Amino acid sequence: MRYEVTLEDRRLRVELGENGRFTVDDRVVAADVRETVRGRQWSITLEGSSHEITVVTHDPLRLDLDGHDLRAAVIDERALRARREAVGSRTGRVELRAPMPGLLKAVHVKEGDRVDADAPLATLEAMKMENELLAPSAGRIAKVRATAGTKVEAGAVLIVIAGD
Amino acid sequence: MRAADAAYPIGSAAPRESYLNAKRIIAVAKRSGCDAIHPGYGFLSENADFAQAVTDAGLVFVGPPAKVQRLLGEKTAARRLARAVDVPVAEGTEPLRDAAAARAAANEIGYPVLLKPAGGGGGKGMRVVGRDEEFEAAWRGATGEATAAFGAPALYLERQIRNARHIEMQILADGHGKVVWLGERDCSIQRRHQKLIEESPGPSVTDELRAKLGAAAVRIAERAGYVNAGTVEFLVDWNGQFNFLEVNTRLQVEHPVTEMVTGLDLVALQLRIAGGEPLPFTQDQITRQGAAIECRITAEDPFAGFAPASGRVALVREPGGPGIRVDSALFSGMTVPSEYDSLLAKVIAHGRDRVEAIARMRRALEEMRVAGIPTSLPFHRAALFEQDFVVGRYNTDFVAGWDPKKAPDLTDGAVAAGALAAVLATRSRGERRALAVADPAWARAAREDALR
Repeated sequence: MRYEVTLEDRRLRVELGENGRFTVDDRVVAADVRETVRGRQWSITLEGSSHEITVVTHDPLRLDLDGHDLRAAVIDERALRARREAVGSRTGRVELRAPMPGLLKAVHVKEGDRVDADAPLATLEAMKMENELLAPSAGRIAKVRATAGTKVEAGAVLIVIAGD
Repeated sequence: MRAADAAYPIGSAAPRESYLNAKRIIAVAKRSGCDAIHPGYGFLSENADFAQAVTDAGLVFVGPPAKVQRLLGEKTAARRLARAVDVPVAEGTEPLRDAAAARAAANEIGYPVLLKPAGGGGGKGMRVVGRDEEFEAAWRGATGEATAAFGAPALYLERQIRNARHIEMQILADGHGKVVWLGERDCSIQRRHQKLIEESPGPSVTDELRAKLGAAAVRIAERAGYVNAGTVEFLVDWNGQFNFLEVNTRLQVEHPVTEMVTGLDLVALQLRIAGGEPLPFTQDQITRQGAAIECRITAEDPFAGFAPASGRVALVREPGGPGIRVDSALFSGMTVPSEYDSLLAKVIAHGRDRVEAIARMRRALEEMRVAGIPTSLPFHRAALFEQDFVVGRYNTDFVAGWDPKKAPDLTDGAVAAGALAAVLATRSRGERRALAVADPAWARAAREDALR
């Protein structure tokens, strides 16, 4: 299987082979790969240099490479094709999701309101701080999915905005 | 808790039911037979009513007496006291009645202004207001946060001094009228008034300025009748002009920086002072050696505007080596709760001079690993290489000016290894196993050789 890997501003094509052989941008590389912590950390020795890679978070994919922080993304062939087909079918609806778990202190808008981008929509209390959640884009409030005073999980859809 | 000799439950995770519940804490103290309470540096550590309640219960409060806390804890009263002993303060107001009165005062002082809770410190409930239009939202946010953190919503205003450095002076006072200063900490590297890096000595503090700040801090402490450890905070501009900010009537998160430089154990001294002992040294006997830096590793994502993160810590590796101290609560498998402050660990580096302290800190941060949740580690690693930090010419705008998009310089080999690991990280266990290599003995020998 071929993969397209993005590491910060670099894009590479990776193909996995047998016995630790893999290709990067069509160049064959021999590597000694050791999974030191299951699904979390790898020790990779490659052409005489030894590297330790730790998966800091899976979603979004963040790596620690020898003490350097890298934002990464991996797309396989199938996903690449699917993504190309999906372009153009956007609905124009934008969701405001809770960026972290916490207590929803207040919702400042109601359905039908028009909002500008960056308008404060709700206040979320987490880690002793109050965080203003701002509108990701301008539009009309199509749906308010959460109630003030309730606990919300990270990623929960709080408000749906319909684009103009 | 795992390091404690004894542990007692004090209530549920919600702070109001436990760490902010004075009655329950004192009841547990009585039941356990202890004779003193150290309030730490959060929650009730600056709460005069708590200090009083502890004393009334026949226990020793390890910190300044309630009377002193009440005086200095009310920030506008502290400002009046500072002015009375000839310490300059920034232009500001008394506690404000409501949003309308506050808005009028803000327009008079001129934007930007700082909205601050009169009743508490630690940056909670504090807001910078840049324009009149932002006032309502800032007032709402600050009132809510101040109520949650201190149970007191009263706010006051202060002119915001831009381009300033946040420099604080550590003091110690015994119960016999003796007050000494131990040295300053530069805490300018902050985000939302939460400190991220602290160091001592302040890279821009001259001996003359240090002596002035020390003397000012001692004057304030003497006038207040201060007892135990405390910190007097100042804002200092680039001409060496300083304004008094507030007194933190407690031990501070960043106290290890001062401990490393002075060789003193501040918590032990707090206990001695609380026990009635006189300070075991005079001002002249306090020496400061080398430089120390502290990085506060928090559960915040620097690539997403420092949004707080909670979740399960999958892997931890703490750094060690000469001059490195780690004060941490981290362990792999722990769950970072959303109810408490986001501080995970403090990494402190000490060196003969600032250059050595920076070198040691860089190595320590490179060695450290925390996985499972995003942390501030990427910010700290980058900050230690930022030109402004390296030359010591930074102010409170440092974090705002930091660009998280700057990618590290890596060799092609490192990039290839990273790309391979990225692919493996996104594959299932079964798929990974199919790719696994049999362990060739030569490879193991070569790797062990490389470690020698």
